[in-house]
Amino acid sequence: MSIPLMTGSGSSMQQYRCANRCTWCDGCGDYGIWTAMQRALVELKIAPWQALLCYDVGCHGNMSDKLLGYRFHGLHGRVLPFAAGAKLANPRVPVLAFGGDGASFSEGVGHLVHAVRSNYPITFILHNNGNYGLTTGQASALTWQDQPMNAAPNGIPERTIHSMDFLFSLEPTFVARTFSGDIPHMTKMFAAAIAHQQHGFAFVDVLQACPTYNHFATHEYLLERCYDCNAEGHDPSDAAKARQLATADTSKRIACGILYQRTDLPHFYDRLVPRKDKKTTPAEEVEIVDTGKWLKRFT
Amino acid sequence: MKRVSLKITGAQGQGVNSVGEMCAKGLKRSGYCVFGYREYMSLIKGGHSSYQLDVSHERIESSETGIDILVCFNHHGLEQNAPELKRGGIILHQTPQWTFPAETEKWLKREDVTVMYLPVEDILERLEAKAIFGNVLITSVVWSLLDRPIDDLKALVREQFGRKGEEAVRMNFACIDEGVAYKKQHAPTARIALPDPDARRWKDCVLVTGSQAMGLGLIHGGCRMYVGYPMTPSSPLLSFMADMQNDAGLVIKQAEDEITAAQMMSGAMAMGTRAATGTSGGGFDLMSETVSMNAMIENPSVFVLAQRPGPATGLPTWTAQGDLLLAVGAAHGEFPRIVLCVSDAEDCFRLSAEAFNLAEEWQTPVILMTDKQTAEVLFTADPFDQKQAAVRRGRLVTKAAELAKLNGTDRFDPSAKDGVSARWLPGSKAATYCMQADEHSADGSVDETKENAVAQMEKRMKKLSAIAKALPEPEVLGEGFGNGDSDKGKIDMLVVSWGSNKGVILDALRQLTSHNSHLTAAYLHYTYLWPLKTKRFLEMAKRAKKIVLVECNQQGQLGLLLRQQTGVDITDRLLAYDGRPWFCDALVAGLRSFLPKR
Repeated sequence: MSIPLMTGSGSSMQQYRCANRCTWCDGCGDYGIWTAMQRALVELKIAPWQALLCYDVGCHGNMSDKLLGYRFHGLHGRVLPFAAGAKLANPRVPVLAFGGDGASFSEGVGHLVHAVRSNYPITFILHNNGNYGLTTGQASALTWQDQPMNAAPNGIPERTIHSMDFLFSLEPTFVARTFSGDIPHMTKMFAAAIAHQQHGFAFVDVLQACPTYNHFATHEYLLERCYDCNAEGHDPSDAAKARQLATADTSKRIACGILYQRTDLPHFYDRLVPRKDKKTTPAEEVEIVDTGKWLKRFT
Repeated sequence: MKRVSLKITGAQGQGVNSVGEMCAKGLKRSGYCVFGYREYMSLIKGGHSSYQLDVSHERIESSETGIDILVCFNHHGLEQNAPELKRGGIILHQTPQWTFPAETEKWLKREDVTVMYLPVEDILERLEAKAIFGNVLITSVVWSLLDRPIDDLKALVREQFGRKGEEAVRMNFACIDEGVAYKKQHAPTARIALPDPDARRWKDCVLVTGSQAMGLGLIHGGCRMYVGYPMTPSSPLLSFMADMQNDAGLVIKQAEDEITAAQMMSGAMAMGTRAATGTSGGGFDLMSETVSMNAMIENPSVFVLAQRPGPATGLPTWTAQGDLLLAVGAAHGEFPRIVLCVSDAEDCFRLSAEAFNLAEEWQTPVILMTDKQTAEVLFTADPFDQKQAAVRRGRLVTKAAELAKLNGTDRFDPSAKDGVSARWLPGSKAATYCMQADEHSADGSVDETKENAVAQMEKRMKKLSAIAKALPEPEVLGEGFGNGDSDKGKIDMLVVSWGSNKGVILDALRQLTSHNSHLTAAYLHYTYLWPLKTKRFLEMAKRAKKIVLVECNQQGQLGLLLRQQTGVDITDRLLAYDGRPWFCDALVAGLRSFLPKR
């Protein structure tokens, strides 16, 4: 991988550079994700004006003004439907959605279910740090059950959602897992997930260090356990194996890489009968339409 | 004005709507103005539902409580609706061996009501026709009772069922002949006289529901995407848009909930297409956070709010105007919004297209209100004007040369005139920005300084006063009872209202003034409800001896807004909150009660 960091001909990291300073805690996994995302976009030769980056609300959402590009930073839990609506209006623009495990598996979990089921042609990056960071460390639905957290000094009584089991039950078309401490691997996963938009919904689970509130799955913990399953020969088209790797016990080893991908299903937009053979996008079609031709059926 | 009403009653699923629609179409084609009103319950089969057609050769935009012809598919109509008959009316039913209670029987005799039994099952059995043919059989008897030429009905039936093959047409015609013969034999003198038709005026009109007109209007205005979640009375719009998708090339999404619907619409609008979402009160509650979000990111957005009685699930299939204060006040924070409400088919078509223009010109949420009454009533309307509307996109920048000159800080520039800054779309080759729902500086960067908070709040709120200036004043409507002398002199009665009440108020005032030639009356109709325009109201109020507020809610919500904005309290009020619209005769009586006794 060779990405020019300074200005030169063609794409460069410089294009995404923004004057606002990052505000994350020292050691936050968001720095790595922020860097890897820009690298992936540059590697795919996507200029800032060519993409739409949509952020949910949470620590990760503070990325929305720390890089350039058309961006959206909306309401907690609701990033997926906004991103999907945007993509359907102009399928030519790559659309990325970013969300934390807090929003995505609680307030926005319904949207996640239906986004996977709809196979919208968008990329979703899950900033999975196992807690609500921006509201100072409450338990998310992915926090381990007995872990004491803010607002849960005795640990949460609820069971933890097994996110990968849940996700695979929805029959996704792309699932990858990566780690916020491995920028080259994240870059590869993000690039593959953006490329998957031609086939449908791409889900990337980024295991993210939260040095302030997550004292169980720390940077070191993840560093010791994450490995590249594709490098060990895992074939992403093997659905059974993918699910097995994704849901395996993570106490010793955590499989990262493109866990699963299928490219034989049409995505949501391609399944829309009225849009077949249309050369234009809905964003290009705003004009007065003479409805006189349909009035006859009402006479 | 001579008007005739016929009401078809039965269980849901029995064919009430089919007979109603066939009669409506036939009468319209014969040269009548038809106003169709449905009542039904929140269930699929059974219950008691009705389809009422009010018919005249002149414009008619309301129902009456009294009926001339009552068609009963089952005995519930005989029990419940018989007292609604006008003197000299006719009951057509198919319940064998039916007898009314003695009291009713006496009343019907006194009122000269004809009761006609039609043995539908026997006739169909003799013809070896399926039950579905009962609808055309009943229609043919109604047709005879109205003394309409039977060939007109046959022509309509051929058109509607011709595609099902010659055998279906033959059977339909056989049913029609049977119906006509039965009527001639068993009730030769029974007849409800219609006025002479005015074919030139009505035959080329369209018969549409408000939802259909609204859907056509959205498409006319450039709508390319509709996202909804089923909820009466917004569901007919979702269904109609879905039915139009192949013809119009639309993106249709039945979302997983109303929040999704609102967010998908918002994303699509942000990307530069025109998209709309629709719901009723409960669903709108869920959408309200998204309304606030769109105001903050200055995203054009269109929310259709179809009212039904609340609170909570309320009366799901009935009508109300109880959500005006909701539309005006929903969602947290202070921000500009535009609230407008349709009133009839022409409005539904025109304002649905206009809603997009307003949203894009002001880069803020537009709430387009309707109600169950407008959404489901069948209107006779002139074919919609396809020439009048234009796409207005406000400060949208699309030309390459202009895009190249933009800075990211142009997007939310607080010094922009009227608070409306340049807007350009993701995918445009230009400087980029963030649609930032946190308080933000000019390029959408989060900025929590007090100076910025004030500058951006004032930028957005500047739009509100500019919108207030730009929107039209409420209209003074009427035919000879208001418009003619609206600039001078006193008015005996000024009626103030909004939304679906327009038609019935106009019908009622026509009736009232035609019976009282000395009476001057005017109707002030509010289409744009927020920001509220008050100049014309104050002018008219000064000239009015009596102001009457008419609404379908309990508090008189438009009255509350007018009082809030002007200090004028309208104390004479006709408020309905029983789930029913205003009926013409009831409104005439209500208005008359405010006139000095002669």
